Amino acid sequence: MAPVVALEPLRNSVLVLAGVVFLLALFLLLQRTWSAISTGRRNRREPALSRLVYGVVQKSPVDATAFRRLSRFDRRLVRSILLSLALDLRGDIGETIAELYRALGFARRDLKRLRSWRAAVRASAAADLGLIHMPESIPPLVQTLDDSDIRVRQAAVWAIGQVGTASALTGLVRLLGDPSLVVSHRVQEVLAERGREVADAILSYASGSSSRRGRLAAIELIGWLRITAASDLLLTSMGDLDPEIRVKSVKAAAAIGDPGFLEPFHSLLEDHRWEVRCQAAKGLSLFGSPSSVPRLTAVLRDRHWWVRFYAATALAEVGEAGEEALSMAFQDEDPSVQDMARYLLERGSAVPALP
Amino acid sequence: MIWPWVETGLAWYTAFILVFFFAINTYYLALTVAGFWRTIRVAREVRRPDQRRLLRSPLTPPISVLAPAFNEEANVVENVRSLLMLDYPLFEVILINDGSRDRTLGRLVDAFDLRRSARCFERVLPCKNIRGIYDSPIYPNLVVVDKDNGGKADALNAGLNLSLYPLFCAIDADSILESDALLRLVRPFVDAPGVTIAAGGVVRVANGCEIHGGRVHRVQLPRRALPLIQIVEYLRAFLFGRMGWSTGNSLLVISGAFGLFEKRAAVQAGGYATDSVGEDMELVVRMHRKRREMHQPYSIGFVPDPICWTEVPVTFRVLRRQRTRWQRGLIDTLIRHRAMIGRPRFGTVGMVSLPGFVMFEMLSPLVELSGYILMPVLWALGLLSLSGAFVFFVLALMYTVLVSALAVLLEDIAFRRYPRTWDLCRLLLGALMENFGFRQITVWWRVRAFWEYLRGDLSWGAMERRGVRAQ
Repeated sequence: MAPVVALEPLRNSVLVLAGVVFLLALFLLLQRTWSAISTGRRNRREPALSRLVYGVVQKSPVDATAFRRLSRFDRRLVRSILLSLALDLRGDIGETIAELYRALGFARRDLKRLRSWRAAVRASAAADLGLIHMPESIPPLVQTLDDSDIRVRQAAVWAIGQVGTASALTGLVRLLGDPSLVVSHRVQEVLAERGREVADAILSYASGSSSRRGRLAAIELIGWLRITAASDLLLTSMGDLDPEIRVKSVKAAAAIGDPGFLEPFHSLLEDHRWEVRCQAAKGLSLFGSPSSVPRLTAVLRDRHWWVRFYAATALAEVGEAGEEALSMAFQDEDPSVQDMARYLLERGSAVPALP
Repeated sequence: MIWPWVETGLAWYTAFILVFFFAINTYYLALTVAGFWRTIRVAREVRRPDQRRLLRSPLTPPISVLAPAFNEEANVVENVRSLLMLDYPLFEVILINDGSRDRTLGRLVDAFDLRRSARCFERVLPCKNIRGIYDSPIYPNLVVVDKDNGGKADALNAGLNLSLYPLFCAIDADSILESDALLRLVRPFVDAPGVTIAAGGVVRVANGCEIHGGRVHRVQLPRRALPLIQIVEYLRAFLFGRMGWSTGNSLLVISGAFGLFEKRAAVQAGGYATDSVGEDMELVVRMHRKRREMHQPYSIGFVPDPICWTEVPVTFRVLRRQRTRWQRGLIDTLIRHRAMIGRPRFGTVGMVSLPGFVMFEMLSPLVELSGYILMPVLWALGLLSLSGAFVFFVLALMYTVLVSALAVLLEDIAFRRYPRTWDLCRLLLGALMENFGFRQITVWWRVRAFWEYLRGDLSWGAMERRGVRAQ
């Protein structure tokens, strides 16, 4: 009887696999050895180079002569020390770090890397330039905002947020409507920190942009930055046909807290979208006006739980009149209204949450 | 003398086993390599200032951390403390005491000065009776829910009902999260809100590590062989395997020990299935199904750097319970969602990952066991020589070791969590050792799981913890 398995190809396969496993183990050991050598070298050189860098950045103007004779390995190490210092240090010392970075030719190299054919290299160069805070990098970074790669655009946005002047930041506003959500978010984050400098540009973008996503982002920013001049714009956008624009507008208006929003908020408690009603109720909790009590009491019977919850929370914020309304709600025949009233009477203050 | 048709049948089956063995190892190899490339790509995209940016960003969504606990009195206080110390802008910790019979609740009440609360909530998902809700005047973001025992899925549903925030992170109460784990895991949700509906993080083995105050201070390998082998397994299957699957948005499993989900998407899918022991995988597959049926764009991802440490079984008894439960959960989920298999409308999930799971995860123990039985039969019938059997065994061993060693190597390149060279050698030894006994016994348990599944066994089996914190 013939054997069912032909042995020769199997034997050959075993040999091949054994060779691959052996090579893999060898590679692993070589990789470990190499990495141990470079880590050891780094550990030996880093303290001395750090001392040297600290010594130089304490004085201005910067004297980079001490770094002239460094090996390539040491230069790489100095660059990484400077970048990690730049992450934590601002002000005069930050400027000295940038000066040293420039004097050692790293900045010139980063600007060259910004034109690399590899997107990952361009993104990394943009991020490093942002980290090191160099004003001369702004024009090339602004050009990079039109890069075709998302990673590069978002790194450039972040970098401009770190170093940018008001005019450079204005250039970011148009990217609120960037086709990539990641880039648009990065712009929002940058402008949430520094957007006050370009409040007018944000306002005109919010009112004039044809990009829905851009408008949404700009309205959200108006709320985060509490741009009071946006009241008229928000009153208009609260009546927008797009429910998401209405939701963002109500949130922004609540953050600004202009008493002129009180009546529109009362009307929005009857909006056909629960998200809008919910935000209106939440907004009213920030005003704490007794005039809202009858409207809020009516909303306690809304069909959506979160609207009822925020209405009850708003009542708890109104004071005596609100508490009275909650006590009445405690007698309500609907057990969920009773529970809510009991909880808020016991707790007495709002629970921060977004549905 | 045997009948010719038996001989032909045996020859064909042997050929099938050979092809299957080659295919399954190639499948793991491909997953490992794909997972590695994706890991490197993600690692390059994440820069140091990213954590600070996410901490400050108004776009970082708040998270409800749900931690079901059953008879966890030994570690529960320290676990909750470690959760409360997470670096994240806004989060709440909801610990669900799932009808523990020990002093789990009592210890929490004493440690956090818990007071009964009238907290109201919307019951969006059915769950067992909630006996009481407690909050702490010391930690306003801590909520403890005391409920009747209903299993992990039921406890998570109760937690979901009480959660206030748009994202929830499901963890095991005995797991240790690294302090920035949530910040790292939330990244896909910040980058693509509304599109990312779930993301899994890496679960690593805590046995052997130096742990104080609910934090892993020094990563070390355990002395015992059983957890050591599981580390290699976790690297191969849970790190690179899942990373590989996430490449084509076809990840089917997010570990119950550490996963972040969009609450609305999970509720829309119906929450956790209380009648399944593989509730974590089942929810993910159901979320895929729901989104694909509704033609809504979505993404379910895997992030390689947020880390959750967990204790793995150190005895065969507990390991058996765990492995049979995993296999029963897998069988159950694949049978429940069999309508998705091979259907182009479910995209890569229906056409690639589900068939792959059926073939290489669900049925593989049956094929492997039949191979173990077949070899002596063939030998007894004179159809296979001893040297033939030996060559086949060595071939199988080599290929399996190759895949495991590659996973160890790639972990070393991408993360280097085990910095000592001796640890690396031990991991390679573990990759070899798993083929002598461990693999065969787990195959047997997984085959037994079919029988248990057919009997309708839905039990979880207790996971006995030795308490890694004491180490």
